[in-house]
Amino acid sequence: MSFLTPLAFLFALSLPAVVVFYLLKRKRVVKLVPSTLLWQKFLAETQASAPFQKLRHNWLLLLQLLLLLLLVLALARPYFAGKAGEGALQVVILDASASMQATDETPNRFEKARIDARKLVDGLLTGVDEDRSGPSAFFHWLGSKVGIDTGFGRRNQQMMIMVAGANTEVRQSFTTQKAALRRALELAQVTDSPTRLAEALRVAETLTRDRAGAEIHLFSDGAGVDLSEFESKDLKLSFHRVGSRGHNAAVTTLDVKPNPEDPTRRAIFTSVANYGLTPVDATLELRFDDQVVETKAIAVGPTNTTPVVFVAGQPQDGVFTVKLNHADDLAADNEARVVSRLPLPVRVLLVTKGNRFLEKALAGAGPNVELATATDFTDADAKFDLVALDDITPTVWPGGNVLAIHVANTNWFPGGIGELDGPAIVDWRNTHPLLRFVSFDNVQIAQSLAVKTPTWAVALVDSPQAPLVFAGELGRQRIVWIGFDTLQSTWPLRISYPIFLANVVDWLNPASAAAAQFSIRAGDAFRMPLGDYLSPGAGALTAKITPPGGPERTIPLDATARELVFGDTGKQGVYRVTLGTNQLAFAANLLDPVESNLKPRDELSLGRRGEVTATTLKRANLEYWRWFALAGLGVMMVEWWWFHRRTA
Amino acid sequence: MLAARRAKSSLKGERRSQARGLSVEFADHRNYVLGDDLRYLDWNLFGRLDRLFLKLYEEERELPVRIFLDASESMNFGELSKFDFARQVAAAVGYVALCGFDRVSVDVFPGADSRPAAVAGPSGGRIPQAALEGALRSVRGKKSAMQFFQNVTGLTAGGTADFNGALQRGALAARQAGVAVVLSDFLDPAGYEAGLTALVGRGFQIHCVQILAPEELAPTTFGDLRLVDAESGFEQEVTFGKYRLKAYQQTVANYVQRLREYCAGRGIRCFSVSSATDLGDLLLKQLRASEVWA
Repeated sequence: MSFLTPLAFLFALSLPAVVVFYLLKRKRVVKLVPSTLLWQKFLAETQASAPFQKLRHNWLLLLQLLLLLLLVLALARPYFAGKAGEGALQVVILDASASMQATDETPNRFEKARIDARKLVDGLLTGVDEDRSGPSAFFHWLGSKVGIDTGFGRRNQQMMIMVAGANTEVRQSFTTQKAALRRALELAQVTDSPTRLAEALRVAETLTRDRAGAEIHLFSDGAGVDLSEFESKDLKLSFHRVGSRGHNAAVTTLDVKPNPEDPTRRAIFTSVANYGLTPVDATLELRFDDQVVETKAIAVGPTNTTPVVFVAGQPQDGVFTVKLNHADDLAADNEARVVSRLPLPVRVLLVTKGNRFLEKALAGAGPNVELATATDFTDADAKFDLVALDDITPTVWPGGNVLAIHVANTNWFPGGIGELDGPAIVDWRNTHPLLRFVSFDNVQIAQSLAVKTPTWAVALVDSPQAPLVFAGELGRQRIVWIGFDTLQSTWPLRISYPIFLANVVDWLNPASAAAAQFSIRAGDAFRMPLGDYLSPGAGALTAKITPPGGPERTIPLDATARELVFGDTGKQGVYRVTLGTNQLAFAANLLDPVESNLKPRDELSLGRRGEVTATTLKRANLEYWRWFALAGLGVMMVEWWWFHRRTA
Repeated sequence: MLAARRAKSSLKGERRSQARGLSVEFADHRNYVLGDDLRYLDWNLFGRLDRLFLKLYEEERELPVRIFLDASESMNFGELSKFDFARQVAAAVGYVALCGFDRVSVDVFPGADSRPAAVAGPSGGRIPQAALEGALRSVRGKKSAMQFFQNVTGLTAGGTADFNGALQRGALAARQAGVAVVLSDFLDPAGYEAGLTALVGRGFQIHCVQILAPEELAPTTFGDLRLVDAESGFEQEVTFGKYRLKAYQQTVANYVQRLREYCAGRGIRCFSVSSATDLGDLLLKQLRASEVWA
């Protein structure tokens, strides 16, 4: 047996108090009178002579009436119905993203949201008489006539709890059981992942669609919430905002590259953003496998971002950690890690009839490039990391990544191929990693192929008629396609040409692609192809993954598995993977500028037209009978005191 | 002192009676019979009619005035105690009666013989209560007034009264009915009806004076009280507040009203006064207005 409100037993303390009052003996004054005859007659007349008497002005009577009224009110279980809690079906969504760890609320935003949500649970109307016939129907009708919600004929309210962290979890499906709802709230955990409310709202929207009186209560700080897909969904959303300020500095980017000036060392690119309104003076610490390598003092102005570059040697594969030593509201984003593996040689095959510019540029594209040239590609099993096809259609199509220059005879262009004379370069996508530091000013092209961009690729350089350069991923093969013969253009004479080819080698290098997969955002699934680790005859394999600070997890893999997928990455940090005899590591980071910007939002925008304003209605449907009972107790005490004072 | 009926006393006095006798008031004629006193023959009538008639005159008799004085313990209450007030009224009534050559007798109840010894006899050489009561049993003549006053002054109150018993005994003891003045608070648990009925049945013309103390009419003690009856010792627990004062006064008014109604139904004159009332007002206005005396 359990009690919904065990605190109510505190009222039992009033019982001894009443007993004590009754134990007190009333002190009577002894008085000699000529005769008690008149008194007897007086008592007989006033006490029992008539069943009814005229009501006299009597404070005791009023107090006792008030006491009774309060007790009756308490027994009637009054509650205040608010907009937030009126719905018969309520979906509570708790935002469990990293920004909810912010400590601007005590103890933090997530706990605050949990408390607010618990109040909503407390206010849930359950255990009411649903009977709509007989007397309750009459009272319901009477109440509706005078505009009072009598509670008769009301429906029980159901609630459901969802936690939107790295994944959306339904913690408790629709129920009227407050205890189950409270338990579900207690078990909710905050994660280090970015905000992913859309998924939760999609589930909630599906559950509440076409249901009368359905409401969605979102407890969030509103940081990084994009709800544009719900623009026309007519979402009955109440936004309960938590959070009060945005005092936060964060590490927002982290990347490791070979140092261009000294190939034996590594360059760690990072940036520190300050989202607060006061300057931040702090130290930034670089560690390699928990060894401090370097510390830099940095100063970041309000709402500014400062890039920081560390250069450090790397003796073996390991993890670089950048830590910002600054006390702010959110500690989760003050640290980021990146898994760095020692660079391997890049084997490049250039298939060309002869192109000195290209050959030179590829050879100088990186410190570890091993360049070979050929006039045709015939051996499909040849071990090359990437193949550059310069105006040649090979006999055998390479299986690896391909840079294709002026190659038309492929199956990529179902729409046909045309010719363009002197296409003008009008735009290029300089946000793409391939075009980093690349400019197409002063590049003229004599002739180009006119094709439509395939669906799997994005155009990087555009002429008004057709794309000139595109890049994309077809299956597991990365492809960069240039539509014109570089020798028929002025591009090789420009500084952008070798930079572009260096970017190409970097982007097409399978090792760098693999390196990217060892850095994931918290909450994203870790995926790794098993091709290199599965030997054909080895049979089943198990992967052991140790999350940061957590117990080891064992994932069985059957012999046909091609990929290791691990989804429970809600905590940021380094995950150690043991795969057979191989030791690996991958890092989960927040690295989300939107999430780190803690400034609480007063409204959530639903696309361009709709918006949801933060509501402060948090104590809806709270039952107030306890307060009435307490007031009744108080009135009873006053009544007792008055009785004694009056006769004393 | 005015009497509604003719005196029935056998003793000579100054009140008209039904008896024929030797006064100056002509009453009737009757035929002369042998042996009648010739001094009462009406000679004028004899001269005109030549027949002998005897003139009859009214006999003047005395009026017995009987004063029933309640001397119970309850009469001891009041600023000017109820008993003092009652004694003053008794003295006044007695003096008026003595001046009219009427016989005055005072019945003090409870009598000295039925009182506890502690209150029965005064100490310090004063005249015993029983002697005073005996002296007051029959007083006549204006010259006895001073002695009468002294005797009344010497009376004390105490003990438990038996109102009905005292009146019934008084009615039986009276040789002739006359005027009865009852001075009491009429607060006897056994009631007052039996006693008054006995007096009425004996033919008394009765005047009742109910004397209540101011504290009985409007109590000034409030709160949780244990009231002790001064006579019986009975205890009554009462929670009394100012807000109930009116109800109490209503109760007292009801009680007085019932007494008045009872008296009115039997031709008894009834007065209800507080012991704090001006005595002159009672004697000169109220009693005169209701023709107790002229």
